[in-house]
Amino acid sequence: MKSTIAIIGATGKMGSALARKFAQAGYPLLLMGREQERLRELSSGIWNANCPSIEIVGCAKEAAWEADIIIPAVPYAAQATVAGHIKPVSIGKILISIANPFSERCDSLLPPQGTSAAEELQEVLPNSKVVKAFNTIFPGDFEYPSTEGVTHDSFIAGDDMFAVEIVSRLVRDLGFNPLVAGRLCVSRTLEGMMLMLNGLSHRYGYNGHAAWKVITRHEPIKIN
Amino acid sequence: MPQKVTGDDLLKVLLQVLLYICIMYDLLFQTVSAKIDLAEDEKEFCKSIFIPRKIRKKQYLLQEGDVGRYTAFVSKGCLRSYTVNEKGSEHIVQFALEGWWIGDMYSFLTNEPSKMNIDALEDSELLLVDYPSRENLFEKVPKFDRFFRLLLENNYIATHRRLISTISGTAEERYLAFANAYPQIVQRVPQHMVASYLGLTPETVSRLRQQIGKRG
Repeated sequence: MKSTIAIIGATGKMGSALARKFAQAGYPLLLMGREQERLRELSSGIWNANCPSIEIVGCAKEAAWEADIIIPAVPYAAQATVAGHIKPVSIGKILISIANPFSERCDSLLPPQGTSAAEELQEVLPNSKVVKAFNTIFPGDFEYPSTEGVTHDSFIAGDDMFAVEIVSRLVRDLGFNPLVAGRLCVSRTLEGMMLMLNGLSHRYGYNGHAAWKVITRHEPIKIN
Repeated sequence: MPQKVTGDDLLKVLLQVLLYICIMYDLLFQTVSAKIDLAEDEKEFCKSIFIPRKIRKKQYLLQEGDVGRYTAFVSKGCLRSYTVNEKGSEHIVQFALEGWWIGDMYSFLTNEPSKMNIDALEDSELLLVDYPSRENLFEKVPKFDRFFRLLLENNYIATHRRLISTISGTAEERYLAFANAYPQIVQRVPQHMVASYLGLTPETVSRLRQQIGKRG
């Protein structure tokens, strides 16, 4: 039985991209957002025979309550508020931080040195299992998880090994190659990586279509 | 399929949720306090262990073949656990109403795939605990060991009664024993499910209810 995933901010670029892919991969979904009409359009647009259910939920707390895994797909600035709303019903659950906490000019990271958006989320939700994932993927690239037969890497960081394993499975189900980068503090690096990739995309004209791939001559160790 | 949500619905839901957050753990603490005394800090620790999970009518908590990671306390609603045989017949193992616990204890303890399904007969609110969290609870609040031991003893007594009743009771005796012990279940669940639980046909249960009704 696949975990039920709540996406808060489902009509945003990342939220809708994730919703589409999770629906294709057969995950029951709870979609929450502020624009009901766009949620309805999204829901009809991504509905497919694979997907056990897509429910539109009017309130972040209700969505989080019914979920096993919660993804706040909201701007970094709204993170603390959303976390506050869902806190009592997020206990013991996996929270995926997809945030890229860029400054307005996208030239620096907003969280102070020595922390990250993911760690800040963990601090507000100490009884939840925060895992960093998907932040190193451009929203438009969820439809293209590989290039010329080479699967793109998707980095994961978290302190709870069980949660990290579950999220690795999600990443694989979406067509990417999961690489566990380390504990949650490695989110600082992952958020920095996306800042850089975003900058490269502007400088070299990738147009938001660029991905990470670790290339090695060694056969990687098989991890479940 | 997508649902319509209005502004009024949002307000109602928000108010409901605010109320529920306050009472989410009330029934759990009531049930626990009936057997052991909990200090405030111990209650707070409990709140950090149990996972609040809402499920809708007909949704699964556990599907056959998955590991039954969680034991669930029912704060609100009604669930059942059941097996399905090769012919597709369902046999109900257990019902759970408010204040009751439900799970696949065998799968919970062994991590082997469950042979049971658990689904909701009504929209329900649960508090879930997995094995490592429960061990952590026993370590930090040792009196919970006593609580779960008492729960297990009661479960054994109920299971023993059910076994004796099933192997040696008449259909009428079995129905009456169940209806007298658990009238709330008879009221809330469909008759054919009561039949399934008792290992009787729906027609037999219907006939028994009529006979008993006539005798009044």
